Amino acid sequence: MLGVMFGVTVFIFQAGLLTGLQNYFIDKTVNTTAHVHIYNEVRTARPHVISRYIDTTSRWVVVRNQKPREEARRVRNGTQIISDIQKDPRVEGVAPFLGLQGIYRLGMSQQAGSLAGVDILREDQLFKVKENMIAGDLLRMETLPNGIILGAGLAEKLGATIDNSIIVISSKGVSLDMKVVGISKTGITLQDNTRAYISLRNAQRLLQQSGSYITDINVRLRDVDLSESVAREYQTRYGYRAEDWKAANANVFGIFRIQNMTVTFVIISILVVSGFGIFNILMTIIYEKMPDIAILKAMGYRDRDISQIFLIESLAIGITGGLFGLLLGFLASKIVGMIPLNIQGFVSVQYLVINFNPLFYMAAFAFALISTTVAGYFPARKAARFDPVEIIRSR
Amino acid sequence: MNHTMISAQHVTKRFTEPVEFVVLDDVSIDVQKGEFVVLVGPSGSGKTTLMYTLSTLDTEYDGDIEIDNTTIRSLSKNQLATFRNTMIGFVFQFHYLLPDFTVLENVMLPAQRLGIWSEEEMEHRAMEKLALLGVADQASKKSNKLSGGQQQRVAIARALVNEPKILFGDEPTGNLDTKNTDIVLDILQDLKTEFNQTILMVTHDTAFARRADRIISIRDGRIVE
Repeated sequence: MLGVMFGVTVFIFQAGLLTGLQNYFIDKTVNTTAHVHIYNEVRTARPHVISRYIDTTSRWVVVRNQKPREEARRVRNGTQIISDIQKDPRVEGVAPFLGLQGIYRLGMSQQAGSLAGVDILREDQLFKVKENMIAGDLLRMETLPNGIILGAGLAEKLGATIDNSIIVISSKGVSLDMKVVGISKTGITLQDNTRAYISLRNAQRLLQQSGSYITDINVRLRDVDLSESVAREYQTRYGYRAEDWKAANANVFGIFRIQNMTVTFVIISILVVSGFGIFNILMTIIYEKMPDIAILKAMGYRDRDISQIFLIESLAIGITGGLFGLLLGFLASKIVGMIPLNIQGFVSVQYLVINFNPLFYMAAFAFALISTTVAGYFPARKAARFDPVEIIRSR
Repeated sequence: MNHTMISAQHVTKRFTEPVEFVVLDDVSIDVQKGEFVVLVGPSGSGKTTLMYTLSTLDTEYDGDIEIDNTTIRSLSKNQLATFRNTMIGFVFQFHYLLPDFTVLENVMLPAQRLGIWSEEEMEHRAMEKLALLGVADQASKKSNKLSGGQQQRVAIARALVNEPKILFGDEPTGNLDTKNTDIVLDILQDLKTEFNQTILMVTHDTAFARRADRIISIRDGRIVE
């Protein structure tokens, strides 16, 4: 019974812990990455210019140091595409985006990072910027011409707080004075440590570009599950690369798959071991109870009556062990969920997020019943097959 | 009124392991209703095997056995179990009471298998048999708290609860002292005289054998009168 109990406990606990973390992460990524992300994929490698004019299969052509073509990463007709997408009934929100690399300076402290030029109100509609703000006011981005919202980690490294003035320098050598109007914390460490929001106009100024220049379009759908098909559709319609959020985080989902597999195997082995434990115990009990079985048979109890007794016994072990296991697993999850951790890793979490999905509880209980029934079946059959005469005469 | 309870015709049984060995060699036997028969003989003579064969527990033999005009061979394994439940009571050398159950529960076990009486009726019948054997006052005790003589009497009560046609016994007094042996023998004789109970017992206790109506001696798998 203890074996079943611990099997179920571990099942509940592991499954809850793992999927809790994964769900937390997915939740975070769904909220911080676009469901569909449209951008211009710049192909840097290109064939020799000469190969267009000369057949290169029969002779050697060497062009040294060919530079990538000067191709802007921009999405042309960005404004039209955005207003077009806006009309799509499946779309909840769409926002332009201009990404660039830059250096932040506050006095002597300097940090490199990525700047996101956005329309802050549209951005908020997509990524809940407001909810993630731990200080400052989103609306000041609109009212001030040079507002900037820093990631929490970035702000800390710079030593910047609200209303500080910082200097932002782009790769084009343009520098702008900005005013910190907010600090945001998404929970995804990499973003919080490098990312800052500025207005689209300022981003264009930093890159010395005109007012229609954007590099990405982010789309949020009403139904996340449609991401894949919508992405495919947009890619053919607009001719730019459109990626759904799952593809954008493919590496992470790969890790999740491996994790899930590992845990599944651990749980299966625990249940197999506890199954063998039950098998052993029942076997011992059956040999102990041989005289009782013999007299019951002499009294007129049928083979199936006897095997039923032992099947019920193993089922009782399964049910009680299973129930205690569910309870213990639930308690363990609760307790672990209360331990403050403050992990700064992939994502930053304060507490372990544990999934209390009732489906796990049902599955664990079902597993317990199945494994005990299977483990009880063979001893029960053996008990039914004892020959009472042999047992009684051997005494 | 003569009514044949057990009729065995040319029953032969051989063991093939470890060596071919004939345990019962063409045994024919008739037991009338209300008869108290004992099987005697030295150990290894086949008397116990004969008893198990006649009582339907042992089903591998040649020849024919009829109990109350039913041919045993014609019954399936499950039918045989039901047949034993209604027709036959067993008393063994060891009492075989279930230690975790009370005396009353032990006596009720065959009735529960029968399943035709209500819970109260089963309890009533079990108490009746316990009273008959003088152990009604022990009914609520765990069966392993009783003395050897009491346990054997409970075992007899259990054998009788479904009112079987035949009571089979395998040295039912083998584990008892003289005093308890006498009590058990008195009970068996009472059952025979008062209830016309058919009884077939195996023993090598001569005092026991003397109380019976008929003694059948077995030697080397054959009946020697």
